[in-house]
Amino acid sequence: MDSMTAVYIAQGLHGLAYGMLLFLVASGLTLIFGMMGILNIAHASFFMLSAYFCYQVVHTTGSFWLGLLIAPVATAGIGVLVERFMLRRLRAFGHVGELLVTVGLVLIILESVQFFWGTESLALPPPEIIGGMVSIAGINYPVYRLFVIAMSLMVLIILFLILFKTRVGMIVRAAVNDADMVNALGINIPLVFSLVFAAGTWMAGIAGVAIAPIITVFPGLADQIGMDAFLVVITGGFGSLGGAFLVSLIFGFLTSYGIQFVSTLAPVLMFIFMAIVLIIKPMGLFGERE
Amino acid sequence: MTKHVNKIFWIALLAFLLAYPILFGAYYTNVVVIFGVMSLFALTVNLLLGFTGLLSFGHAMFFGVGAYATALSLTHIEGLPLLVAILIGIASSAAFALLLCPMLVRASGTAFTMLTLAFSMLMYTLSLKLRDITGGEDGIGGFNIPDLSLPGVFSIEMTDPLNFYYFALVVILASMWALWFLTKTPFGTVIIAIRDNAMRVNYMGYKVTHTKALVIVVSSSFAGVAGAVYALFQNLVSSDGVFGPMMSFAPIIMTVIGGVGSFFGPIWGSGILMLLEEVVTIFTERFSLVSGIVLVMVVMFAPMGVVGMMRIGKAKWLLRRQNS
Repeated sequence: MDSMTAVYIAQGLHGLAYGMLLFLVASGLTLIFGMMGILNIAHASFFMLSAYFCYQVVHTTGSFWLGLLIAPVATAGIGVLVERFMLRRLRAFGHVGELLVTVGLVLIILESVQFFWGTESLALPPPEIIGGMVSIAGINYPVYRLFVIAMSLMVLIILFLILFKTRVGMIVRAAVNDADMVNALGINIPLVFSLVFAAGTWMAGIAGVAIAPIITVFPGLADQIGMDAFLVVITGGFGSLGGAFLVSLIFGFLTSYGIQFVSTLAPVLMFIFMAIVLIIKPMGLFGERE
Repeated sequence: MTKHVNKIFWIALLAFLLAYPILFGAYYTNVVVIFGVMSLFALTVNLLLGFTGLLSFGHAMFFGVGAYATALSLTHIEGLPLLVAILIGIASSAAFALLLCPMLVRASGTAFTMLTLAFSMLMYTLSLKLRDITGGEDGIGGFNIPDLSLPGVFSIEMTDPLNFYYFALVVILASMWALWFLTKTPFGTVIIAIRDNAMRVNYMGYKVTHTKALVIVVSSSFAGVAGAVYALFQNLVSSDGVFGPMMSFAPIIMTVIGGVGSFFGPIWGSGILMLLEEVVTIFTERFSLVSGIVLVMVVMFAPMGVVGMMRIGKAKWLLRRQNS
């Protein structure tokens, strides 16, 4: 196999890994938006917070697996507190208040992280078993990224099974459609909201832990993926999981191949894609409502 | 009676602002120029948020386009008059807003917010990546600031901080007055009606999308004025300084602290936030943390802002006086 093909395959795998992580972040965002109408600007901050939690766990106990287990759960816990004590109180007054509170949270989380862990990059090496390189069809590729792809895929399958095969998933899907109606049918919607918020932040937390060994832990960790996740939600259609999945993968490949061909303008490609989609379909690819 | 009191208040305020540089010296004069720029910027955000019901998370892009256009035109065009440079800044902001309008006017609520955020991030990325034009992280600085002159009549040196203070004062106050006047016209009434019930306005025969487009263009033009004055004042325009996310969030925080929907609220808010910054930075570098906490607290416990609290306080006071 010639070297050019090898590069294409490697970039393709990179794109797949990034696209999957992006979907982990964007799916939580779009689910929360679809159900509650809240656009959680702080979603990417939870993603970053989880990476820092994981760093702390690894630093204290030395076990990456423990970090992978604890950090997203701790992040989800904070997410639930935010939902319960801030957003729920503001729900009656429209969405502007909720949006503004999440902006305040972005600032608070960003500054707190710098206060506790400083501004420098913290290295978080992957565990030894998945730390090396593997040879696929003549290309050396880091095992860790394959692990990320596999793990994301697993989380996604669990998410889809819960959403489409269980009673809870049915209620969530119904609530995305019409929360008031579901509430009127006697289902405790505030509890479902809390659950979905927890699940969303948990998935963002998983993605945060997963990305940490690749690009180290630093305060600007969430800038790129946070923005990309918002673009995914807009382009895929607000509240649409299928749209988010498709667009996440497209963005993953746009990023990896874009860097290869038009390196300086690669971040702009996604905006161009978004603009084209929005001009043709103002509600996004699979969006049905504002 | 109140009309007289109002008049006296405005004259006193104007006299205070005119005498200000003499009373407080150079450092605090510069603080007031930045205060004016940010107040005007926050007013344009409030024109959308408080009066039209559109929350823009990316107003920095209009501010930034105005600032960059002014700076670039002064860098590349030899002997450009000052006012023309500012007009280029305003026109660029307006043109940029007009370009985005086809996408922006169809969205409302959260979708509008997200679109503005997305486009402002696009401008931020572009300003970092198009190094040849914008200078990347370093930005554009050290451009020539021309004198304010009418050939053969007068010429005022603008590099002198005192002269610039008065010039900025005139530009900013005139813009604020224009915005205030706008909210008192029939157009101002229509945009408030759109905020309250867009569908009804549509049925009454007003073109909601056209009106929205117009108010977005007006708001961004004045954000462009703020940006142009900022560029001239700093003599430096950089991506983080004008396009950064904080630049979009700051005017929103100011508006919320001051009071959404009250015309002068954002000015109060910007004053309070800048005063807070002066105080907080004595103790800690983490001003963003404080402003984040203040934002959350205000939204949770005083959603009407300072102006709203003053109104409630005044009503209670009047009630008590009536009862006693």
